[in-house]
Amino acid sequence: MNKEKLRTGGMLLVRFARIGCFTFGGGWSILAQIEQEFIRRRQFITQEELLELTVMGRSLPGIMITNISMLFGCRLAGWFGGICAVGGITLPSIVILSLVTACYDMLKNNVWCWCALQGINSAVVPIIAGTVLSLGKEAFRHRSGVWICLATLAVRQVTGWSNALLVVLGVLAGLIYTEVESRGTA
Amino acid sequence: MVLLELYLSFLRIGFTSFGGISMIPLILEEMEAHSWMTAADLSNLIGIAEMTPGPMGLNCATFAGIQTAGLPGCLAAVLGVLTPTLTLTLTAALLFEKFRGSRRMSGVLRVIKPMCIAMILTVIVTLSRETYVQAEGLDWYALGIAAVSFVLLRRFRWPVPWIVVHAAGWGLILYGVLPRLAT
Repeated sequence: MNKEKLRTGGMLLVRFARIGCFTFGGGWSILAQIEQEFIRRRQFITQEELLELTVMGRSLPGIMITNISMLFGCRLAGWFGGICAVGGITLPSIVILSLVTACYDMLKNNVWCWCALQGINSAVVPIIAGTVLSLGKEAFRHRSGVWICLATLAVRQVTGWSNALLVVLGVLAGLIYTEVESRGTA
Repeated sequence: MVLLELYLSFLRIGFTSFGGISMIPLILEEMEAHSWMTAADLSNLIGIAEMTPGPMGLNCATFAGIQTAGLPGCLAAVLGVLTPTLTLTLTAALLFEKFRGSRRMSGVLRVIKPMCIAMILTVIVTLSRETYVQAEGLDWYALGIAAVSFVLLRRFRWPVPWIVVHAAGWGLILYGVLPRLAT
């Protein structure tokens, strides 16, 4: 591995660690930060390339933010760069959550903290519901989405299959569907 | 052995979820299956995760890992949830051109997205039962906070961390200050 690559890797580690400190609320802010840091200031990649990376990072399984970091890092400095970027983005959240977890039992047993947590808990469902509404727009763009959603609910109710199994079945169904469709048009 | 279990469990979560809120149904399932966390703990964690930086999946892995097996547990869980990124995405990145706008990928997503919605809906039911229904009946304070939060989020487009802080404030007032004033 040459020196140039090592330097880029180190740079990615530090920059992504800094970005990792400020990715609040579902992680869309990471895009804004990459854009600021790497496109506007340094012109490493173009806007369009970033969009492509994002679409791909979102469609692969796992955490979207780390996926995008990996794709971006690889783009700049190969697999080493990718791993550096992922390491950087991961570190802050591990450190912060470790501290929170260490204090969790204490927080939970403190009367005032309990009250605050009770309030936060009440807001969690609306937050999730808000995401469902935004996701729904995209997922139900094709009419079939509504049926797939209802079918999933029904299958879950009747069979009690796990979510993980359902996802695997869904992936298979999607693959078969694309296959059949492309045969049909060919 | 706990470490291996943690790793495998978060590996499953990683490979079958597509980021953010859509991970919650899978996390809840694994956590309850191993009794590592209750639905109430998870709800607290979601609130904390929304307030602290970093992706939900990583935050949950760190929390669950430390709670079950300390720092080594945390590493095992985080590695598990990162495995898809470190394998699949890395491969995809190196073969970027081939994956570009793949029809298979978009076909799969067309099925998976609505499925995720269905799963999240079931989680909403579970968490609602946990949060808004008490032994004595409905918790009107909690429902009130929820309604206000929803309006602020959707109508006034508040960022989520603000919503969390604001809800914590209501919690302090309604569950902390008010009962003390009454007595």
